[in-house]
Amino acid sequence: MMLSEHLRENVLRLEAAYSDCADVIFHDMLIGGHTPAMLVYIEGLIRLDELDRHVVEPLRDGPGPNSGLESIRRQTAVASVKTVDSFHRLVDEIADGCPALLVDGYNAALVFGLSDREQRAIEEPTAESVLRGPREGFIETMRTNIALLRRKIRSPKLKVVTLRLGSSSKTPIAVMYVEDIADPSLVREVMNRLERIEITDVLETAYIEEWIEDNRYSPFPQLLSTERPDVASAYLLEGRVVILVDGTPTVLVAPITFFALLQTPEDYYERYVVGTAIRWLRYFFFAISLLGPSLYVAVVTFHQEMIPTTLMLTMARSREQIPFTALMEAVLMETMFEALREAGARLPKQIGSAVSIVGALVIGQAAISAGIVSAPMVMVVAITGIASFMAPRYTIGIPIRLLRFPVMFLAGMMGLLGVILGVIVILNHLLNLRSFGVPYMSPLAPLEKRGLKDVLWRAPRWMLNRRAKG
Amino acid sequence: MKKALTLAPVILLFPLLAAGCWNAREVNDLAIITAAGIDRLEDGRIELSVKIYLTSPIGSESGGRMSDQPNSDKGTSVVLSATGINTADAASRLQKMISRTVFWGQTEVYLFGERMARAGLEEPMEFLMRHYASRERSLMFVSEGTAKDVLLLSPPIDRSVADALIAMAEQQTGLNITMKDLAQMLVGKSGAAVLPIVRISTETDRQAAYPFIEGMAVIKNGRMIGRMNEQATRGVMWLRNEIKRSTVTVTPDDSGGYVSVHLLRNHTRLLPRIEGDRWIMTVRVTGQDDVVENTSDLDLSVPKHIGKVEEELEKFVEARMRLALELAQQEFGADVFRFADAFWRKYPKIWTANADRWDEIFPKVEVRIETDLRIARPGLVGRNFFRREQR
Repeated sequence: MMLSEHLRENVLRLEAAYSDCADVIFHDMLIGGHTPAMLVYIEGLIRLDELDRHVVEPLRDGPGPNSGLESIRRQTAVASVKTVDSFHRLVDEIADGCPALLVDGYNAALVFGLSDREQRAIEEPTAESVLRGPREGFIETMRTNIALLRRKIRSPKLKVVTLRLGSSSKTPIAVMYVEDIADPSLVREVMNRLERIEITDVLETAYIEEWIEDNRYSPFPQLLSTERPDVASAYLLEGRVVILVDGTPTVLVAPITFFALLQTPEDYYERYVVGTAIRWLRYFFFAISLLGPSLYVAVVTFHQEMIPTTLMLTMARSREQIPFTALMEAVLMETMFEALREAGARLPKQIGSAVSIVGALVIGQAAISAGIVSAPMVMVVAITGIASFMAPRYTIGIPIRLLRFPVMFLAGMMGLLGVILGVIVILNHLLNLRSFGVPYMSPLAPLEKRGLKDVLWRAPRWMLNRRAKG
Repeated sequence: MKKALTLAPVILLFPLLAAGCWNAREVNDLAIITAAGIDRLEDGRIELSVKIYLTSPIGSESGGRMSDQPNSDKGTSVVLSATGINTADAASRLQKMISRTVFWGQTEVYLFGERMARAGLEEPMEFLMRHYASRERSLMFVSEGTAKDVLLLSPPIDRSVADALIAMAEQQTGLNITMKDLAQMLVGKSGAAVLPIVRISTETDRQAAYPFIEGMAVIKNGRMIGRMNEQATRGVMWLRNEIKRSTVTVTPDDSGGYVSVHLLRNHTRLLPRIEGDRWIMTVRVTGQDDVVENTSDLDLSVPKHIGKVEEELEKFVEARMRLALELAQQEFGADVFRFADAFWRKYPKIWTANADRWDEIFPKVEVRIETDLRIARPGLVGRNFFRREQR
């Protein structure tokens, strides 16, 4: 729907659209004392004093009558001015916090880039802290986030494509990539998938994540979410696409592989020997966090001959008066642990310590003294807990926490055979997963030798080829 | 269709679940055997005795806690025995006596009573090797008297008899024969085997009786035919390349004292040769040694004196081996050194042709001993400077 030449008509339409919106201000004025005009903006979203100084004041004694919209624009002292002739665009711009000027006699409106929003300072992201490396994190304002990335990649090849999603929220979304590094077909695919989304609101990147994933039923994340500009720009330079959503500090990276989810920025900020060692430690404990309790259950219920004799005798003694089977014990303790973690994560810090004290008592000392669980089981749960905290990204930790339980049941019913069955099923699923067409387990499967130097070890920087192939 | 395909593996899992926990054994339901003894009664029946670890000692209130005091484990085993016409029969009768499932997977020590050993080890070994849970790495012993008597001991230092015997065997001062070794020897070319002998030290008023390893049993064609004393056993161990550590004290000529040497990194190689009718075995012993004590006049910082000690050592080791060879070749006629395997490996055809005659050939095998023992580290001082006349 286009704008009309009559100011009155346009204003009426806008007023109808914004009925019962007390925060929308309609400010009528006379440009140069002769041409009627209407300034429309939303209170609190604009820089009011700048609007006064650079728009309202110069236009008061503005250009002569019928000198054209262009001369009115030139009269103002604002660098960012857009001319909008569609009614819907106009509503979008006003909603974004840009004051709009409708002038009688012109079927277009001037939109001033004077939006201003309350925004959080740039802080270190708490979920992804590092010891060495940049401490800045994305914030809720997309514009600032784009600027943060632009500041890291100063090349004009860094492209930003914006679109809006959500029929009611009309959230701005930005897709960023580096031209000539990113595969054009990948960019096209991302855009295609984004445009196909039918959604009313986008309050977080997770809202669109579920829409554009290759396998929507998988417990594993197929996009990487990060709050760190350094991580996002590193992926951009590897030829991946970053998706930003206004209103959340989390951005999405696509495509992604399983091993990328197990990497931290610090792998690259530390010396490569250290980076490699820590990476392997992480792989090992990742396996423990999935299989720890299951292996214990399997060995204790089926394969007692696998335990060294001395340990076996001690364990036999500590398990003697436990009323539960090893499987029930494990499920009980793991559930308890997950409950404690969930309770602790949501509580304010002041109360959080109370939870940890009670937790330590309940699943630790008291449970053992009461003879409800055995001491080795508590140790296994504790080690598994620590192992699951080592997952560098929360999103990869969750599916593992979840899958631990079915594997535990398999172990309790079939011993190591069950554990292996569980692992095979999970591996099978992982091997079938794709993220924007890229096999999830690459470069291990399908094997790509060049990629292995950033998976099996963190090769020294001069050996690393930063660009992802294909 | 696609959904059906994804569901297929899940459905296929169900039969496995139906199998359920049929072979699950909770630790609480196990009777863990730490050592087992097999004896032969006078009427020819087999008595199987097992040492079962008591997981719930009477009067303990520790609950699920791991024991706090390291010593509280002591004396928390019971010995149960059952008799049967063979080992398997005895084992099944034993199970009837016990409320829990007998668990063989942690049995680290098997003892054969001397009478059992003399009657033949094939029967119990067949049971043990066939059994799915017994460990091939368990240690095997022959006990003087009955095996049950050894099991009934609770040695003062170690947690159990089993621990004590394992520790002693692993020190390599005596033979260290696992179930796998024994089985291999019993079916090997030479048809002879050795097992360490466990003796019980007599009880004194100060301390409880304890078992220790002394000498070895010579087994031929599955039957114990005799025993060798401690010194001959060492000789056998030298020839079998099983000496890992030992301390030897020699008296070099005209030196007026002793030199004690700690033997490290010893290696014995068997080099067989057949010249016409003569079967020759060259035994080459090499080793590096540390001097640990020197009360002689020799100055060990002088290479000539070192050579003298080395010579003396070589003589000593050779004498040990000669003693063992004499006993094995002439008295027992049992090839406990596995010469047969060495000959067979080098001359498979000749050996196979003469396999039936091995019992005749073995006593006539010419053994040449070449020793090369070197003193690598004479220690921090040369002479014994505590001796007045040497200052």
